[in-house]
Amino acid sequence: MQLPSEAPQSLVRASLGELFCEFLKVSLLGFGGGIVLAHRAAVERQRWLTESDFADALTLCQFMPGPNVVGIAVCVGAKTRGFVGALVAFAGFALIPGAIGFALALIFLEQTQAPIVRNVLAGIAPAAAGLMIGTGLRLLKPHRHERRGIVFAALAFAGLAIAKLPLLLVLGTLAPLSVAATVVSRAKP
Amino acid sequence: MSALGRLTIYLALMSSISFGGIPPVLPDIHNFVVGANGWLTDRDFADFFALAQTIPGPNMILMMALIGWKVAGIPGAIASAGATAVPPCTMYFVGFRLWDRFRDAAWQRIARASLAPLTFGLIVAGGTVMAETADNTWRAAAISVGAAALLLATRINPLWMLGAAAALGALGLV
Repeated sequence: MQLPSEAPQSLVRASLGELFCEFLKVSLLGFGGGIVLAHRAAVERQRWLTESDFADALTLCQFMPGPNVVGIAVCVGAKTRGFVGALVAFAGFALIPGAIGFALALIFLEQTQAPIVRNVLAGIAPAAAGLMIGTGLRLLKPHRHERRGIVFAALAFAGLAIAKLPLLLVLGTLAPLSVAATVVSRAKP
Repeated sequence: MSALGRLTIYLALMSSISFGGIPPVLPDIHNFVVGANGWLTDRDFADFFALAQTIPGPNMILMMALIGWKVAGIPGAIASAGATAVPPCTMYFVGFRLWDRFRDAAWQRIARASLAPLTFGLIVAGGTVMAETADNTWRAAAISVGAAALLLATRINPLWMLGAAAALGALGLV
């Protein structure tokens, strides 16, 4: 994601109600672009965080375990209102949209034997898989000139998708190697 | 132990190691719930994935809730959603506090440079494994490739692509 250059801003402390409502909106409207909407809400419109705070939260969530976009909500909430803020932002993002989504999904699944629903799902599943591939590639794009990063991305891909190794093994092997390679290459003059 | 107990513990473990988000651990979860335990069929798994991607909201938590629902009804859905969300959210909170405290440390730059590309490769792999499950025809494979290409090359909202794929499906063209 491209971040505009840092501008001096005066930050605003979020009210808990605003925090809840903003992340409720991000969750319900932010299909496929939750991070973009969260940035717009938290940095540009409400001024709860600076650009660099948000970039940090994004980076952190990228390489911490878990559903990343939920992590953005937790980090933004934590930054502006501490523990209670994290809880409220999570609730706005996950609880109500989750319950609505679950109900919708059950209604839809009742009908999976109907040919039309079967066909629609058969169309959506490959598109959704393709979008996930595209998202990963798009995130890699800024790293395309870093040979070391690309090699490790390719190894991670091969380990999981081609060799079908368990994730823990792939990560447990590649993460220390990648960190070591980065440290070594930075130690060189 | 009951199936729900085993699923909950398994999902809590998976969400705790799901670096780069839930999609990279989907292959492992697929092996566990479809292969090792037979709680779901391949088709259930692909359906849940497609639905979770289509419905706005926290989609991977929703997908795990649907798996839990299949195994043990509504209590299963709640337990699975909790197992997926609570361990990582605890870590996000603690991690962000620590990250904020040591924001200028050299190790943060090294961690960023070395771990970020790794996680992106894992996301691509997760999508590839899902595509293998979903792409039973050459048309389905073409949709996967087309969606990935459009996302990379254009700024079209992905919702339109999913809508178009759903329409192709509804017309019986997939």
